[in-house]
Order: sequence, then C-alpha cells, then structure tokens
Amino acid sequence: MQQYSVVGKPIPRVDGSLKATGEAKFTVDIALPGMLYGKILRSPYPHAKILSIDTSKAEALPGVKAVITGKDTGEVRFSFIDTPRYPADQCPLAIDKVRFIGEEVAAVAAVSEDTAQEALGLIEVEYEELPAVFDPEEAMKDGAPRIHDKITPTTTTAWEDFGVTREARPYDAVNNISNQVLITVGDAEQGFKESDHIRQNRFVIPTTSHIALEPHGALASFDSAGKLNVWLSHMGYEHKRYWLAKTLGIPISKVRVNKTYVGGAFGGKISLFPYELLAAFLSKKTGRPVKIILSRSEVLSTCHTSRRFIVDVKTGVKRDGTIMAQHIKIIDDAGAYRSSSPTALYLAHVFRHAIYNIPNVRHEGVGVYTNKLFTGPKRGHSLQQISFAVESQLDMIAEELGIDPLELRLKNLRKKGDILPNGDRLDSYGLPECLRLAAESSGWKQKWGKQPNRGMGIGTGGMFSGGHNYPFGSAAFVKLNPDGRFTLFTGQTEFGGGVDTVMAQIAAEELGLTIDDIVVVSGDSELCPYDIGNWLSGGVYVSGQAVRRAAADAKQQLLAYATEALETKIDQLEINNGRIYVKANPDKAVSLSDMYKYGIQMRGGDPILGKGYTKAVQDVGFWGGSFKGTAALSQGRGRFTDAYGLAAAIAEVEVDKETGKVKVLHIVVADDCGTDINPLNVEGQLESQAAMAIGDVLFEEVVIEEGRVINPTLGDYKIPGALDIPKLTTISVQDYEPKGPFGAKEVGETARGAVIPAIANAICNAIGGRIYSLPMTPDKILKAMKDEKG
Amino acid sequence: MKQLIQLTVNGELHEVRVEPWKTLLEVIRDDIGLTSPKEACSTGECSACTVLLNGKPVNSCLVLAVEAQSKDILTIEGLSQGSKLHPLQDAFIRHGAIQCGFCTPGMLLSAKALLDENPQPTEEEIREAISGNLCRCTGYNKIVEAILEVAQSQ
Ligand code: FES
Ligand code: FES
Repeated sequence: MQQYSVVGKPIPRVDGSLKATGEAKFTVDIALPGMLYGKILRSPYPHAKILSIDTSKAEALPGVKAVITGKDTGEVRFSFIDTPRYPADQCPLAIDKVRFIGEEVAAVAAVSEDTAQEALGLIEVEYEELPAVFDPEEAMKDGAPRIHDKITPTTTTAWEDFGVTREARPYDAVNNISNQVLITVGDAEQGFKESDHIRQNRFVIPTTSHIALEPHGALASFDSAGKLNVWLSHMGYEHKRYWLAKTLGIPISKVRVNKTYVGGAFGGKISLFPYELLAAFLSKKTGRPVKIILSRSEVLSTCHTSRRFIVDVKTGVKRDGTIMAQHIKIIDDAGAYRSSSPTALYLAHVFRHAIYNIPNVRHEGVGVYTNKLFTGPKRGHSLQQISFAVESQLDMIAEELGIDPLELRLKNLRKKGDILPNGDRLDSYGLPECLRLAAESSGWKQKWGKQPNRGMGIGTGGMFSGGHNYPFGSAAFVKLNPDGRFTLFTGQTEFGGGVDTVMAQIAAEELGLTIDDIVVVSGDSELCPYDIGNWLSGGVYVSGQAVRRAAADAKQQLLAYATEALETKIDQLEINNGRIYVKANPDKAVSLSDMYKYGIQMRGGDPILGKGYTKAVQDVGFWGGSFKGTAALSQGRGRFTDAYGLAAAIAEVEVDKETGKVKVLHIVVADDCGTDINPLNVEGQLESQAAMAIGDVLFEEVVIEEGRVINPTLGDYKIPGALDIPKLTTISVQDYEPKGPFGAKEVGETARGAVIPAIANAICNAIGGRIYSLPMTPDKILKAMKDEKG
Repeated sequence: MKQLIQLTVNGELHEVRVEPWKTLLEVIRDDIGLTSPKEACSTGECSACTVLLNGKPVNSCLVLAVEAQSKDILTIEGLSQGSKLHPLQDAFIRHGAIQCGFCTPGMLLSAKALLDENPQPTEEEIREAISGNLCRCTGYNKIVEAILEVAQSQ
C-alpha cells in the first residue's frame, strides 16, 4: 500500500480541545440578545379532528409574544421523501386533524420558558376523537380508519425542484398504504424449486430511539432585511435550508444555517422537523430570535424513531448450503407520516445485495400508516432490521444442514470484481477477509458450540458510500493564506464522526502539509459550497473526494506558479512541507507563502483558490424529463452506489439460564472501509456501533401502547452504560477502494447491522432456542428456553 | 420571587438573583454563562450536567442553585489552566475518548472526582465511577482507557 504522511495516521481530532474545555458551542448553548423561548402544544389524541383552536387567553398572558397555529404556518407540506409519486404528507402544524399523540398543534414564543409553558396551558383546542388504528396489519384491512385523505401537492415536489420534470400526482393512501416496493432478481419461484431445503420465518423489529445526547433544538433569527439565520442540531444543511426556504416562502439564499457542533445524530436529526420550522415562523412573527429546545421526553415521543419492520423471510438452499432463492416481505409500520419509508424499503434490499450472491430474489415491501409516532432513518437505515432477520435465519438453516455457520456464510459471499444485478461493481470487497479475521480473533473454531451456557454468533452488514438518491454530491474550496497555510471550506457537518479532522487530513496529504496547516470551515451554508451532508455514509467517500480535488486543483496552480518562479518544468518539481523544490536540487525552492505573494504580484492578483467537486454515483443524473442511467427506487433499478462498506462481526455471550440475563463477553468487528484515513476515528466508529448494537439486542425499544409512548425518559428507555460494554476488538480490513479518496469508503453504519445479528445469534446459540424479535429481554429468553424444552 | 445568592464557580465568586426553584444547572448555564454542563435529560439519568460540588460529582439538574451557596463548584472551564490542559483532558483527546463531545464535560468531571478520591482505580472501578454518565458515541472503552492511563501515570 502507498505510504502517506497524514492519511492513515491516528491523529487526534481537531476539535478535541474545544470539546474537552467546554468551548465548543452546541445549538443548546447559543443565546442571542432579545431571544425568546418557544414551546409546542401537542396532540393528546392519536387520531382526532381539530374543531377549533382558541389562542386568545394564551396571547393575553404577559410575556407571551406570539402564538401560532396551522392557520399561520399553512399547508405547504414537507417530508424526508417528496417525489412526484410520493408527495410530502406533513405540515408544520396540524391542519384540521391530528394523527398521533404528540403531533404539533400550536406554538408559543415568550420571554421565558416558564411563561411559554404556562401559555400552552391556556390554548383551548376542541377535538373530536376519531377511531385510531395502531397495528399495521389491521390498518391495511378494508374498513380500517383512514389516516390520510388524498394528498394533493400544493407546491412542486422536492424532486422537481432538484431538476426532474415530472408532474406530481395526488397520492391516495388506499388501505393506509403509504408506499410500496418490489424488486426482483432472477426467478425466485424457480430458485425455490431448485432448492433442497426451504425455511420460512417471521421476524419483528421494534422501533428504537437514537438518543443523541444533545436533544433536538433550533434557534432561528430573522433580521429586518429578511434574512433568516438558524442554528440547528443537524446532519447536513442542504435539506434543512431547502425546506426552511420553501415552507417559509423565502429565497434559499436568504437562509443561513450557521456552524454548530452537534451532540450526536445517528440519523435522528436528518430530516426537517416541525420545531425547526416553528422557531423560524415564530421569529418571523415576533422579529426576535426564538429558541426551541425539546425535552428528552419530547425527543423520545415526537421525533422520528427507527423504522419498525415485520419481516417474512423465505430462503431456499441446496444441501451443501448454496443459497438458491430468497423471498422477503416487509411490512414497514411507518406511523402517522411516511417519512423515509420508500427509501428504507429499497435499502433493505440493496444494502445486503453486496454480501451474498443470491441468484433469485423477490423483495417486497409495503409502508403502512398507523396512528403512532412516525419512524425514520437510524444508523444503517433498515440494514439492522433486515440483517437481524436474514442472519438469524441463516443460523437456523446452518443448524438444519449441519454446516458451520461461518462456512455457510463464506460459501455464499460475493467476490471482488462482481457486478451486482443493478450494475454496481465491487471494486473493493474485503468481506471474506473480514469474516476470516473475525473468526480467528474470536476463536470461533475452538469455541463455537463447545462452551456450556455460552454462545457465539456471526453477522454481516453492507452499506453504501453515498447513494444516487437525493442530489447526492459535494463541492469544496481551499484558499491559500499569506502564511502558506490553507483554509478549507466543506459543507460537511461535524456531528461527532470526526469529519473536520478527516477532511483536514485529506487536504493536508494532497498539499504536502500537516494537519495544523489546514483550517477547516464546515457546516455553514453561507460560506461552504453544496454538500448533501454525511448521509448514507457518503462523508468520506463523496465529500472527501471533493476536498481532495480542491486541494489537487490548488496544488496544480501552485506548481504552475513555481515553474515560473523557479524557471523550470512542472515535472521537475516536488511539493512537500510547505515548500516547492526542484527534485534534482532541493535547495532550489520557494515556499507556499512565496507563491501567495507571487500570485498577487505577478499573476494578476490571483492568490490561489482551489475548487473540487464530485457526486456519489457518476453514472446517474436527472435532468428535465430524462434520466442519465435509469434509476427507480421502488423497483431497485439503476446504479445505487459506487462503493460498498462491508463488515462482519462475531459475538460471544454468556446467558444465566436461571434469570435469562445476558452478559456480552466479547465482540469482534472486522470492517472493510477501504483505506483508514484516521485509524483512531475508524476504531471509534466501530466501537460506537458495537456498543449501540448491545442496546439494540438487549434492551432498547420505544414502547407504544394505544398510540402513547410509555417509556419516554432515559430512566425507562435504557441505553448501554460503561458497565454494559465488554472487550471490543476492532479489525480494519483495508481493501483499497480505487474510486475513493486515497482508497477510502464508508465506515459509520455497516458494523451496527453486523453486530446486532452476531449478538442475537450468540444468545440463541447459548440457549439452544430461537427468538424472533428484538430486544431479547430476559423474559423472552426464558420463554424461548422453555419452548425449546417443550 | 427572586433571591440574591452567591456561588463560587471555578474559584470565582458570582452574585446572581435567582428564583428559588432554579436548578444549579440552569443558573450556571443561563445566569453565569458557563455552558459546559449539558442538559440531556433534566431528570438525573444521564449525568451530562455533572459538576463537582466540594469535589463530589452531582447531577446539577437535580440540585437547586440555592443549595449550592458557600460550596465550591467546579466545571470543566476550570479544569485547564490557560492553554495548559488537565491530564484528563489531554488523555481524552489523545485516546479518541471524545466524539460529539456532549457527554465529555460530565465524563471528565466524574473521572476527576474518581481519581481525586482513588488515584489508582481498577478498570472495574473506573467503569463503576462513570456508569451514570451516558455516552452514545464512543462505546466507553476509549474513555476508560484514557482514565486508566492518567491513573497509571500519576
Ligand atoms: S441532565 Fe442532569 S442527569 Fe441528565
Ligand atoms: S461523545 Fe457523544 S455522547 Fe459521548
């Protein structure tokens, strides 16, 4: 592998000291002069008509500056997905009816939080309760309560605003069906006919919360010139400013999303939220800054949680374990709004199609509206759900065939260089190595099935490095400063993953500088160029490439100047350590600082500005009525991503057979993220995902009864603490990705989808029984053991 | 009904007028303007709001400001001396024990309180000491390693 001087080094993060001293400012920390506090009145009913809202008493309360309802915010709809086929279905404040407990009905801005809270109690809303439906299978039946009337778009959809000329159609959610997907590969029926053994099971995956430590919040400030400044806890500003501009009816260039540090996100802060819009609406109305910070229980019961899947899996295999066919049917219990359902149902197929070579596939999914908190992306966005189902079943099949689960997986893996059914190519594919190394490190061969009360399990995961959906691209600038150092402008948002550090490393490597020579400006929509944000784990692969190209552009300019200043040819020059020198005579040199001056003095004032850009999938583009490269999410056609991140995990657990309690003893995660730009960061991402997966398998679930979240506190919704974490071994299998910056690709999401089934399989291995739903609580474990004994 | 209280934070005396029901967390953040103690739950379940009160870690969202009068309050703004970081801060940065950083202030103070009382803790004692400090980003092991390193080099 090529030797780099900055890339590949475990450099401590550039924002480390700011965060260790308390200087780093998060949205919750920012206060502006004259700032008001906003609070939101929410629906107490899962499904009800709003007959009237009387805000007069609240408005009369001293200290209250504004009260707004759906009449003020209007019927511009927004959503995570807004396409001609699936137009947006959510409004900033409920209009005419509410669809889940916690839905936003009115909002108040006041001089203090206490006053705003008191004002909420003075708003009088008259509701007429409607029959509600909570079970997705009930919701699909004829005669079930209808949650959405026909949705007729009141504006162009986001898809059209991003360049696709397609007329939006009204959406009629017959039988509460919000969206559907059907992807076929080969001929599943035929594949089952050719199988020696077929197994069919149903798995249920509950919704869980992201629990980013910083609660959701927004500060919005309109100035008298009509400019909106916002500070948000978020994952990328393009989506946010687009929707803010659209719903408020102002030009997008008049919305500035300011840089903040973000206290964790994990997919939970990706879409636009009503509270963000409401802070802006209230600021517009009052002419003062308005801050809305949600309480933990508001976050847990009103901000999207992970997608709830019921998954039926049918798999056919040959006697030797070769997988012949798989039929997957998903019911995605979307909740009151569609949010990311169309994407999630398609991702549930495509994240895993890079893992096993399954010649015949039928993948069906349906998103269903119910009167519950709506769901959305969470780290891995449906990978974890589908991985739990598929990998659990593979273990059952391995047992029935008498094959080692490790061998069964190795046998069915794809190969490097494979072209996937949609045309994606596996230029890097370190998964076989991941499995082998995880097995070696965990002692699989020596220990699996040989330890009483203990169990071991395997899981695998796959993930995009950015995708074709959304206008998925990034641009970056670099500017040379008089001291020979560079300022880098990237639209990436630092929400914990370390992008500021990684982007600085990439720029430094390309320019032959150190990381201290790069000042990063990120996450500011006014200063930084286009960047969709670190979605679908495209941060390093997509934005990192844009940064590298911006640096390379500046480097070319520097070398061109140096050929004049040193009177030599460009191929004679080398750039390193802030100097450009003649290779044959290193003393003949100029500094980068010299070249800054040279540009201004001798090159007509050009001080060197580098520009770079790229997009996630080069082969796909939408313009006007035509597509470059076909792409249809709901049919799984067209190119999806240019590089797959892959992971394998093995877990070892001990189960107390008296109490059903699980102790996780060791987790090995082997991940192929291409080149490790920063090994410290990579370890951090992998350990983070392993820890999160422990919560997923052992205890996390947002429990909803009759439409009400009954565990909306951190006391009732437990996440892993330091005592829950075992030894974690992370292995980085760096299969160089030729299209990525310095060979890098995804790292932040795959592993969670591998560790969840690994722990789940380990528990089932330990107890000799099968559990078909998460979380695997002691009750379920004891029951499974009893069932097994008969 | 506001009342005038005196709070000593990081060695500095502050006089603030507060309602008696205001929490120490609110007063430190909103009135004194030190924003390192974070609120992630307000119900005593995350310890992001940890400050040291006479050297002992407390969840400042559960302490009334008036109760903290005449006690020494420490936040991480008072940990470093100028640009010289406290060894724990330095170790957290080098070990990758910080990601989003939202839990970091509370985590650092819980670690400091532990090492002040028990300079040579075992790994298990470290886990115990930070078991109430939730972190969603790091998976904790790098935090434990950072604290262990500081303990061992003391
Ligand atoms: S904010 Fe005080 S314990 Fe969570
Ligand atoms: S670093 Fe994000 S919560 Fe700990």
